[in-house]
Amino acid sequence: MFQVIGGRSVPAARLLAPRSAVLVEAVRGRKSRTDPVAKSKEGRIKVPPPVDPVEMVVLKERYTEYQLIMSALRLEFKEEVLRKKYEEETGSQAEERVRQEAEEHRSLMAWNNEENLQISFCQEAEEAQRKKIEAAIQREQEQQEFIKEKEREILQLQEEVKNFITVENLDQRIEEALDNPKNYNFAIDKEGRVVKQTALQ
Amino acid sequence: MVHLSSLLLKKYHGGHVVIRLALAGHKQANRPFYRIVAAYNKRARDGRYIEQLGSYDPLPNIYNEKLVSFNFDRLKYWIGCGAHPTKPVAKLLGLAGFFPLHPMTITEAERQRVQTEKTETNTDMCQVTLDNTQVTI
Repeated sequence: MFQVIGGRSVPAARLLAPRSAVLVEAVRGRKSRTDPVAKSKEGRIKVPPPVDPVEMVVLKERYTEYQLIMSALRLEFKEEVLRKKYEEETGSQAEERVRQEAEEHRSLMAWNNEENLQISFCQEAEEAQRKKIEAAIQREQEQQEFIKEKEREILQLQEEVKNFITVENLDQRIEEALDNPKNYNFAIDKEGRVVKQTALQ
Repeated sequence: MVHLSSLLLKKYHGGHVVIRLALAGHKQANRPFYRIVAAYNKRARDGRYIEQLGSYDPLPNIYNEKLVSFNFDRLKYWIGCGAHPTKPVAKLLGLAGFFPLHPMTITEAERQRVQTEKTETNTDMCQVTLDNTQVTI
């Protein structure tokens, strides 16, 4: 059914349009429940189409036959569906399919395991190499540290050499020691005050 | 009826499956084309369907044929699962030969035949009276 033009009511459209043009606009449900019945339809009594008894009898017979055949067809189709489902689940081909799938699964798993083994071997080889490299680096580092330690010791010794007492310094050092008597005695109290003045000189 | 197909998707309780005509391409005016479709009863006519089982073109083509197509395999499955075909679908299937001929098709044809015979006899009567009058004249 055609819709109302632009929201304007149909009579207005009819007025605006030329009188000669035939406007057959059938708009379903144009009236709401509360609208009154049209004047032309006031005394209208809706009558169903007349029934021919002979035709009705023949029709009833045809309908019974039709329904019989239809129910039989339906049962047949239902049976076919059930049979197909049954064969799908527990048929002769179902077992073969299951077996084939299991075999495929096994072969695929075996292949997968082989691949995994190979990959693990490669990984092991790589790891061994990496470990060797790391060990070499570690050893080099340790050597360098050792060398540094030794150098530090040498430097320390060189500095200490200045304070050594040798054969030439002996007399000089003895005289120095005798000239400068050192007093290592001191007293300290609980507040941390040191007292270096003692009874000994 | 045994509901072998589970009513999944939208959880319907108490709905059933129907095989009916759904209007396709309803944005085009004055060119109808129907899809024969298995859908739930409560769905809109052109709304979501479960499966398309064929098509029907109501306008005749250049060779004066109206083309209909059916997927009989899936149709058998759905009817076996308890789907109800609607009247027009049942009529089409009857004409196709898959179902028995619908009683209304036969009665409509008989009525049409009676009508055409009546109009033919009327025209014959008119023709005969004209000839008679002419003869008399």
